[in-house]
Amino acid sequence: MSDIATVAATEQVGAPQKARSLAGDAWRDLRRNPIFWISLTLVVVVAAMAAVPSLFTANDPRDCLLSRQHAGASGGAVFGYDFQGCDTYARAVYGARASLLVGALSALLTGIIALVVGMLAGYFGRWVDAVLSRVIDIVLGIPLLLAAIVLLKRVSTSSDNVRLFAVIFVLAVLGWTTAARVVRSSVITAKEQDYVAAARMLGAGNGRIMWRHILPNALAPAIVVLTIALGSFIAAEATLSFLGIGLKAPTISWGIDIDAGRVHMRESATPLVVPSAFLALTVLAFIMLGDAIRDAFDPKLR
Amino acid sequence: MFRFILRRLLQMVLAFFGTTLIVYALMFAGQGDPIQALAGERPVTAAQRAYLTQKFHLDQTGVGGFFYRYFDYISNLLRGDLGQSLTGRQISDILAAAWPVTVKLALIAMAVTILFGVTAGVLAGIRRASIFDNSTLVLTLLVLGIPTIVLAPLAQYFLGVKWQLFPPTAGAEPNLYALLLPGIVLGSLSLATALRLTRTSVAENLRADYVRTARSKGLVKRRIVSVHVLRNSLIPVVTFLGVELGNLMSGAIITEGVFNIPGVGFNLFRGIRTEDGPLVVGIVSVLVVVYLLSNLVVDVLYAVLDPRIRYE
Amino acid sequence: MRVRRLAAWTALPLAVTLGLVACGSGGDSGSGQSDPNAAVRIEIAEPQHLVPTNTNETSGSQVLAALFSPLVDYDEANKPYEVAAESVTSSDNKVWTVKLKDGYTFHNGEKVTADNYLDAWNYGAYAPNGQNSSYFFEKVAGYEDLQGEKPAAKTLSGLKKVDDLTFTVTLTEPYSEFKTMLGYTAFYPLPKAAFSAPGVLAEGYEQAPIGQGPFKIKGTWQHDAKVEVEKYDAFPGEKPKVAGVEFRIYQQPTAAYADVLSDNLDVIKTIPTENLSTAATDLGDRFQQSPASSLQVLAFPTFQKEFSNPEVRKAISMAIDRDEITKSIFKDSQQPARSFVSPVVAGYRENTIGAAGEFDPAKAKAMYQAAGGPSTIELSYNGDGGHKDWVDATCNQLKANLGVECVGTAEPKFADLLTKLKAKQPVGLFRMGWVMDYPSMENYLGPLYSSNGSSNYYGYSNPEFDKLLAEGAKAPSEDEAIKKYQAAEDLLAEDLPVIPLRYGQNNFGHSTKVKNVEMDLFDRIDLLKLEAVK
Repeated sequence: MSDIATVAATEQVGAPQKARSLAGDAWRDLRRNPIFWISLTLVVVVAAMAAVPSLFTANDPRDCLLSRQHAGASGGAVFGYDFQGCDTYARAVYGARASLLVGALSALLTGIIALVVGMLAGYFGRWVDAVLSRVIDIVLGIPLLLAAIVLLKRVSTSSDNVRLFAVIFVLAVLGWTTAARVVRSSVITAKEQDYVAAARMLGAGNGRIMWRHILPNALAPAIVVLTIALGSFIAAEATLSFLGIGLKAPTISWGIDIDAGRVHMRESATPLVVPSAFLALTVLAFIMLGDAIRDAFDPKLR
Repeated sequence: MFRFILRRLLQMVLAFFGTTLIVYALMFAGQGDPIQALAGERPVTAAQRAYLTQKFHLDQTGVGGFFYRYFDYISNLLRGDLGQSLTGRQISDILAAAWPVTVKLALIAMAVTILFGVTAGVLAGIRRASIFDNSTLVLTLLVLGIPTIVLAPLAQYFLGVKWQLFPPTAGAEPNLYALLLPGIVLGSLSLATALRLTRTSVAENLRADYVRTARSKGLVKRRIVSVHVLRNSLIPVVTFLGVELGNLMSGAIITEGVFNIPGVGFNLFRGIRTEDGPLVVGIVSVLVVVYLLSNLVVDVLYAVLDPRIRYE
Repeated sequence: MRVRRLAAWTALPLAVTLGLVACGSGGDSGSGQSDPNAAVRIEIAEPQHLVPTNTNETSGSQVLAALFSPLVDYDEANKPYEVAAESVTSSDNKVWTVKLKDGYTFHNGEKVTADNYLDAWNYGAYAPNGQNSSYFFEKVAGYEDLQGEKPAAKTLSGLKKVDDLTFTVTLTEPYSEFKTMLGYTAFYPLPKAAFSAPGVLAEGYEQAPIGQGPFKIKGTWQHDAKVEVEKYDAFPGEKPKVAGVEFRIYQQPTAAYADVLSDNLDVIKTIPTENLSTAATDLGDRFQQSPASSLQVLAFPTFQKEFSNPEVRKAISMAIDRDEITKSIFKDSQQPARSFVSPVVAGYRENTIGAAGEFDPAKAKAMYQAAGGPSTIELSYNGDGGHKDWVDATCNQLKANLGVECVGTAEPKFADLLTKLKAKQPVGLFRMGWVMDYPSMENYLGPLYSSNGSSNYYGYSNPEFDKLLAEGAKAPSEDEAIKKYQAAEDLLAEDLPVIPLRYGQNNFGHSTKVKNVEMDLFDRIDLLKLEAVK
C-alpha cells in the first residue's frame, strides 16, 4: 500500500495545483505521523536483514557443533547457542528472508484476492455474490494441510526458491477467505451510505465508485485481518516445514526455529524467545504501518 | 426473506457437492500408499495389501478410477452410509464421537473470543491510544509471537501441572471445566483478531457523521455507542466470527493433540496422514455445512444490524 | 513388532542388558501398601485392531496382553518358558507338539481346547481375512495353500488336533526357534464365540474381545478414549495384584506425561524425547529405564552408484560420533550401537562392525576422499517420528568431519519415504528403526538384509548371507543356529549396507499411586507385577 501512496505522492509534487487526490492527502498525513516512520524503519531493517543477512552477523548460522549445545554468549553469538550448537542470533537473522517472504507475500497475495473477490461480491450482489460467496464457502471447506500436501508434493524435489513460492502460493490460495468475507461485509455496508448514492446521482461509474468511495471504507478491517494473517502465515510455514512438505534444510526460517526451540524450552528458553521476538517485532511493524496507512486513507478523518 | 433463504439453501447443496468433489479429488491426487501409511514402518504383507486394495477399490486409478470411486462414495452417502475407515471403523461412528466434543470446544473458544475480544475491542476503540488500547496491542503481539504450538504446552504445564488450576488434559468425554483451558488457548488467536477488528471498526464509526449529528442533538455518549456505533461496527466482527466458528472446529489440531481431545481436528489430521479418503471427506462434509450455515446466519444478521441492508 | 512411533528412547548401562527385569523395580518398591481393589490407568495410543492375528503394534498388544495368556513367555535370559502351555516339544524341530495346561477358560465360560488355537491360527493365516500378522504362520506347512485371492484350502495342513489339550504343528522346514515365536500376540487362541460361522469372525468381536487371560474386558473398546479391563476370577495362572486396568488412549505422549505429573494417569510407557532432560527432576525415582529391542540405523540405497562402494559407507560411519549424539541429543536415553542385533537377544556380540564403529574424523575424511564419496549427502527421515534433532546433528557432524555438504530432508511419513525408495528415487541415506517380533538374532537379520527380506529397502543382496541364514534356520540346536547367524552378521559388517547407530531403551514413568512398574521387551507393561498403592 505504501507504494501506491509514494507513487501518488510523487505525481502530486509535480502538479501542486491539481485537485488533491485521496492518495495525496494520505501521503500528507503519513509524513507527519511518527508511528509511520517508526514502523517503516522496522520494516526496512527486517527487509535489509532478509536481503543481506551478513550485514547483521559475521557468524555462519549453519556452523553447528554439538559440543556448544545451549552454550552462553560468545564471539558474536550474542544470544548464545541453540540445541544443535548453532548461533541463535545468526539463525534468527538468516531466518528473516524465508519468513518475511512467506509472511509478507502471502499476506499481499491474500489481500489482493480478498479485495477483488470481496469487492465484486459485495458491490454487485445478486448472482455475482452468489457465485463468489459459494466459492468462498467451498474454499473454506478444504483443509489447508490436505491441499498443501497435494500441491507441495509436486515441488518436493524442486529448488529452494520454487518451494518457497509454492508455500506462499498455497497459503494465499487457501488463506484469503476470511479477509474476503470481511471486505464483502464492509462493502455491503458502505454501498448503502448516502455519499455513495450521491456519487451515483452525480453520474459516477461503478469502477469509480468502487475505487474512490467504497475501497477506502472497506480497507480498514481488511488491513487488520491481513496484518494478523501475516503472523499466522509465518507460523503456518513452520508447520508445513516440520511435516516435511514446506521449506527444507538448509533454508532457515523463524517458524522452524520456534518449533525447534519449543521442544527444548525447559532446558534453555533463549532459542525459542529470540526467533519469537523477531517474529513479534515484524508483525508489530506491519500492524503499526497498517494502522497509520489506514488512518491516512480514512475519508472520515477529513 | 423466505425466498432468500430458499435460494441460499439450493446454492448450499451445490456448494456441498462442490466441496466433497474437490476434497475427494485432492485425497485422490495425494494418494501415495495408504496401506503402507497405515502400517507405519512395518512391512505390509501381500495378503493384507490385496485385502485392503480390494475392499477400498484402491486399484481404481486414473480419471476413470476417480469418478468410479467418487460416485460410489456419493451414492453410498445419499443412502446414509459414510463408509469405513481403513482400520474398519464406521466413519459415522467416528464422526458421532468426534463432533460433540469439538463443537463444545469451539463454542467455548468462541465465547471467550466474544466475551473478552469484542468487549476489549470496543473499549480500546473508544479510548484509542490510551494505556488500555496499547496493552491490547501488546497482547495481540504476544499471541502472534507465541504460536499455539508453544502456547498450548506452556499453558498446560503452568496452569495444569504446576499450579493445578485446570485439569492438564481433557480426554474424550470432558466436562466444561476441563475444556476451559483448551478453549482459551484455541480461542487466543481469534480473540486477538476479533479485538483488533472491533477496535478498528468502533474507532472508525465513532468518527462517522451520524455520531456527530447524534452528539449535537444532545444524546449521551454511552447511548450513541451502544445503540448506533456498536451495531454498525459489529458487521465486520460478526462476519469474522462466522467464518472463525468453522475454523475453530477444523483447526484445533494442535490444541486437541496437546490436551488429548479426540475431536474433529485430530481426526482430520489422522485421516490426512493415513490417506484415509472416506474419513477426510466425511469430516469435511459436515464441516462445510457448518461454514455454509454460519455464513448464512451472518448474512441474515447484516440486515438486523444495519436496516439499510436488504436481502436480494 | 516393528513399532511405528519410535520417538522416545532411553538407555541404560550395557551391563544391565542381559537381566532386563533386574533393573525395573529398583527405586520404586518402597512406599505404600498394596491396594488389590484399585484399578490402574495406563497410557496407550489408539490400537488399530484388537484381534490377536491382526494386532502388530504396541498399543493393541498391550491390551491383548491383559485379555490373553500366551503359550510361552520369556525369562530373564530371554529364553521361553511355558505359561498357558504345559509343554512345547519337538524331536526334529519340524513337528512340534503343544500340550495345553488344563483349567483355562475363556471369559465367557468356554473351556480352552486345542481347537481354539487351531481356529485362531487358521483364521490368521487365511489370506482373504487380511490379517496383519499372517506372516507369522508362513513357516507352518500348508501356508501357501491359504494365500492368493481364492486360496486352495481354508485350514493349515500343518495343524493337527491330537486330543482336547494337545495339537501338533508341522513346519515346512525344521526351525529350532519355533517355541520362541509362540510368545507373540499372533499365537493367542480364540473362543468359539468369536466366530459367527467356521472361519468367519463375528461382527463386533473386536469391540469386546473375549480371551483366556488374567483380565476380562469391561464394557467395550471406546475408540480414541479408553479400553477398560477387570480381573477375571476364574483365571488359573498367576493372579494380578490390581482389580483392573484402564488403558487410556492418548494422541500424543506429551499429554500423557502432563497427566502422570499430576497423578491423573498412572503409567506412561514412552516419555517423549522433549521431556527426557527434565524427567529425572520431575519424577525422581518414578522415572525408569529398561532395555528395549529397538535398533536405529542409517541405511544406504546401495543400488545408487555413489553409495555402492563399502569404503564410502565405512567412512561415513567413522565420521559419526555416536557417543556425542546419544549424550547431547538423547541425554543418554539411548546407547550407541556398533552391532546389527540388539543386546537383548541371545548371540549378541559387542562391536561387530569393528573399525567402522570407531569415531575417527581424520581417517574417515582420508578414506572418504580416496573412495570418491559424493560431495553432498542427504539424510532422509520421516517428519512424524521426532527424528529431526538427531538427523540434523548427524548431518552437522558429517559436514564438519568429512567436509561435505549435508542436509536432513523430512518426508511427511515413512510410507512416503518407502514410495520414493521403491521408485528408486534418490533419497540419499535414510533412517530405519527396527523392533523385534520375537527375541532371536534371525529376526534382526532375515527381514532386513536377506535378498527377499520384507524390509530390505536398500537393495542389499549377498547369496552367501542368504545361505547362512537358511542354514541357521535349519540348525538342530539354538547354539548352532546362533553360530550361523553370527557368521552372517560378520558378512554384514564387511558390506555395511546400513550403519548401526543406537539401541533403544524403554523410558517410562509412573504416578505416585502405583509401584512395581516393569516393562518387557515388547514395550508392554507387566500387568501381573503392577501394584496400586493405598
